[in-house]
Amino acid sequence: MSPRLKISKYVFERLSKIDTNETTGCLFGLMYDGTLLVVGMSLEFFENEKKNYRQLLLSLPAEIELCGVVKFAKTLSIESRSKEILQDVDITDNPLFIIINEDKEIKAHFLVHEKFEETTYEVLPTEELWKQFIHVRLNTILPLICEATMPGVKNILQNKRKKIASGEVSFQIDGTAVYLFGIASDVGVTGTSTETNVGDFIDSISSEQSSKKKKHTLNKVEIVSVNLVLKATKDILSEKLVKTAVKMMTTQRKPAFCISMPLRVDTLAMIHRSTKLSELYTALVEAACRSLKLLETVLLEQLGQEGIGDGAGLRLPETFHFLPQELGHFVTRVVPKDIPDESMEKERRLLHEQLCLPLDRPMFRRGNAFSNNLGKLINTHEALPSSPVKLDTTVALVRGRYTYHHYMQDNFNDDGWGCAYRSMQTIFSWFRFQGYTAIDIPTHRDIQQCLVNIGDKPSSFLGSKQWIGSTEVMFCLETLLGVQSRIIFANTGSELINYTPELVHHFQKHGSPIMIGGGVLAHTIIGVEYNSITNDTRYLILDPHYTGADDINVVVNKGWCGWKNSDFWNKTAHYNLCLPQTKPVI
Amino acid sequence: MVRTVYSPEHCLQYLEQYATQENFVLGLILGQITDARENIIHLARTPDDKTADTVSEETYDSQKTESVRNLLGVSEAWVADHAKHVTRMLPGGMFVQGIFITSDEDVFEDPNHFSKIKAVLNFIHKTLSSNQYMFGNYPHMNERLILHMSTSTKVLTCKSIEVGSSKTMSMKPVEWKFLPKMQQWQRLDCYYEFDDVYPVIVKKSGISVKQQFQQILEVAYKTIQSSVMFIDGELKDGSDALEQLIKKKRLKSSTKTTQDAPKSMHVSLFVPFENSLPETVEYLECDGNIHFSGVVSSSVFMYPKATVSEAIAAVKQDIIRSLASRFTMHCDALIDDNLLPEEKVCFNEPPRRVLVPVGSLYLCDYLFPGEAPAEALLSVKELLDLQITEGDVVCDVETPADTSEFDALDRDTSSEELLATPQEASQFMYITGICFAMFVLIVSIFIHYYDAIVQFMGKLLTRS
Repeated sequence: MSPRLKISKYVFERLSKIDTNETTGCLFGLMYDGTLLVVGMSLEFFENEKKNYRQLLLSLPAEIELCGVVKFAKTLSIESRSKEILQDVDITDNPLFIIINEDKEIKAHFLVHEKFEETTYEVLPTEELWKQFIHVRLNTILPLICEATMPGVKNILQNKRKKIASGEVSFQIDGTAVYLFGIASDVGVTGTSTETNVGDFIDSISSEQSSKKKKHTLNKVEIVSVNLVLKATKDILSEKLVKTAVKMMTTQRKPAFCISMPLRVDTLAMIHRSTKLSELYTALVEAACRSLKLLETVLLEQLGQEGIGDGAGLRLPETFHFLPQELGHFVTRVVPKDIPDESMEKERRLLHEQLCLPLDRPMFRRGNAFSNNLGKLINTHEALPSSPVKLDTTVALVRGRYTYHHYMQDNFNDDGWGCAYRSMQTIFSWFRFQGYTAIDIPTHRDIQQCLVNIGDKPSSFLGSKQWIGSTEVMFCLETLLGVQSRIIFANTGSELINYTPELVHHFQKHGSPIMIGGGVLAHTIIGVEYNSITNDTRYLILDPHYTGADDINVVVNKGWCGWKNSDFWNKTAHYNLCLPQTKPVI
Repeated sequence: MVRTVYSPEHCLQYLEQYATQENFVLGLILGQITDARENIIHLARTPDDKTADTVSEETYDSQKTESVRNLLGVSEAWVADHAKHVTRMLPGGMFVQGIFITSDEDVFEDPNHFSKIKAVLNFIHKTLSSNQYMFGNYPHMNERLILHMSTSTKVLTCKSIEVGSSKTMSMKPVEWKFLPKMQQWQRLDCYYEFDDVYPVIVKKSGISVKQQFQQILEVAYKTIQSSVMFIDGELKDGSDALEQLIKKKRLKSSTKTTQDAPKSMHVSLFVPFENSLPETVEYLECDGNIHFSGVVSSSVFMYPKATVSEAIAAVKQDIIRSLASRFTMHCDALIDDNLLPEEKVCFNEPPRRVLVPVGSLYLCDYLFPGEAPAEALLSVKELLDLQITEGDVVCDVETPADTSEFDALDRDTSSEELLATPQEASQFMYITGICFAMFVLIVSIFIHYYDAIVQFMGKLLTRS
């Protein structure tokens, strides 16, 4: 029987918007409860016989597998190349075949006994996706010591994969006494009932941590951390037990070079909440193997390069996970340490094209990497109750992640003077998160130093408690990031409403937070709502004057982050807005 | 509360026998301290000091033996050496807890005797702490036992005294109790496997086998200390008593098993990977590599009321102690300590562990490659003052390695052996292989043409 079919909203939207000359794409999905859920897709370029999707698959969380083919064609017909892809589908006996015609109609078929059977499908809303699935993140460090040659690296990584797949490893869920064992052991799970499912288990540990139920949650992506332990003892009852006493063999070889490094495995698996804990083991083994293959690729690429060939210039591979808004699933990249993002544009461009992502902004730079815990609140506005969609209103919001910077943070008392500095830090954090820069967020002093350096302020400005305004923010962004800004002057607060179309355009095109200064106050605008009938404008304000703790409930309930009507602005004061502009880069 | 120790009853007979037969005997007290109870497992007489009579054994034999026949004639170093050798035979969780003396004098009253006892115990303490990986001294308490039986009155006195401190040491009374019944022990078994490849980094001063073993020992110690231990496949609460685990199991299975010796528990150790390496790629010039592989079999015996944490500590001690014992014994017997001799491939095969029964539990001994189990009888007699038969020695807990096994290991892809293949060994294998193939070929030709050959031969014969 063919499975039920669901398509993630993310994939559905990209498919229906796709505008490409390519004819074929791959579909990635996972199985749960007799349902096949399509969570990702990529275009296949069939370049130099290399099967790009195989390499791409390594970058996806474990459990996500190739599940079918999408064709941009009118009729059901498969040529040999698509057939090859379909033959690679292991996750189900009935590979999926989707065709999209010129009218963007999406029809799904299962291949059953060499015949296509059209099937109905359901589109899984984005919130449902994050509610139903959790991610398990495996972190471990494997010491890697081997000969500094390509066969040396290949060999040792193959051995490590074998070891992990052999059932000798066990996984511990961080902060708990729960261990998952391989088939070699008679117990699959200790520390909790074998029948426990992943969802209930997570709820039980998170409720232990904070007994009070959170009203507002920010992180929609739930991640469970897991680490790996290696079984160092042999099973006494095993028939394979070799009882040879310890001995040492020394082999001479001169001259030889070896490399020694900590191999940081950081990998994900995407798991449906109804999955049993005992079933998690194989997913984690697969995740670890994918990670090791990615790490191997990066090491081999480096060894293959001239100059590094002998291993002396080898750089440590570093792993980053990315979750671009449009994608709906993680993409993991491994890059050599300290190689600047700018010099790896080619690889990123390919990834953008493969995944049908916009080519005008970075998505896979180090700065774009997903991070869960930064000490500061991220995207506070996402905790606001979602307002019903009204027909005649246009809403334009900041695009991407930022951190909320406000008074008194970082043990620094700037109450009464630092609001523009904090607003600037929020803007800066946005540029960092969007991958435009890897520079640390400047402190008040850094900002002052920058203004002194460019001659805008005298040296006495350094260490003072003097205010800055929109133009200073613009100068700093220009100097520190090379970011140009547009400055808008509004003579009075009531005049601001005239600039609404500009603001809407800004958020749609650039998506960066806006700093606004007027009278004695600076604020950060992170969204705007325009009603074309009433001509009303509302502003989504992030207020840097907040002095309390980083508690999302307080921030949202007390309106430190919230929608304000146009009477929020002082009718008599004049205002300057700094709109940071972005350049199209990848 | 007075410290109380529990001893098997045969120790009393052992003491009485010496107190009756000889004027003076000194030996070691071996035992285990747990929070629940302190148990003595064995008393072992220190063998006669042979180093003292190197001049001419035959002439001075009687005289020399006579001179040692009192406490003041005892060599501290000799007793400490005995303690060092005995410690190698003890499983983890067992220690040399003190000394026993059978003599005529009141050793606790006579200041000369008393200071001699202090000297002996301190010397033992010092000797045993020289190698931390041997776990020679019980780590949580420094009070050692002195058990005295008077040869004239057969009165038994036990006291304790603190060692290793500069403070004036005062004696404390100890209650020594004999158990009428044989003590039950909870046995815990495991096989710890090594399979590590190290690059050989030769410094200007060269590198010795001893240094390399020391390095392996340090790594193993860190790894094992950080490991998580499971008993019978489950993570147990450290404060639980071992016997509770069995009771729980009984309740679960609800089948009534006879109340005799509890079954051995199977231990598994899981090693977390912690970052001990610097966050950089190290690029090293090396002179080859070392493959350290094989198992250490571990069997420890715990008082059943001992806690899980105590058992865990004992198992970890046991593996390290065993490794350290082998390495020391191996290096002591080495003629050439150079790690990289002329040969391209070099094997170092430390002695392997065998188990020897002592009372209701097992201690261990080590056999060098080629040594027969009978060798173990000698050390048991000499060091533990115990007579066992060859059949008592459990020789199959570990098996010796032979060179062919090294070759097999070397080709085994699952091992992490990478840097080089032993050229000579494989060449040798190659030639033997060819010879064998030739032989097979000739034999098969012969068999194939057997009829023809017979006919031909027949013809030849008839012709002549």
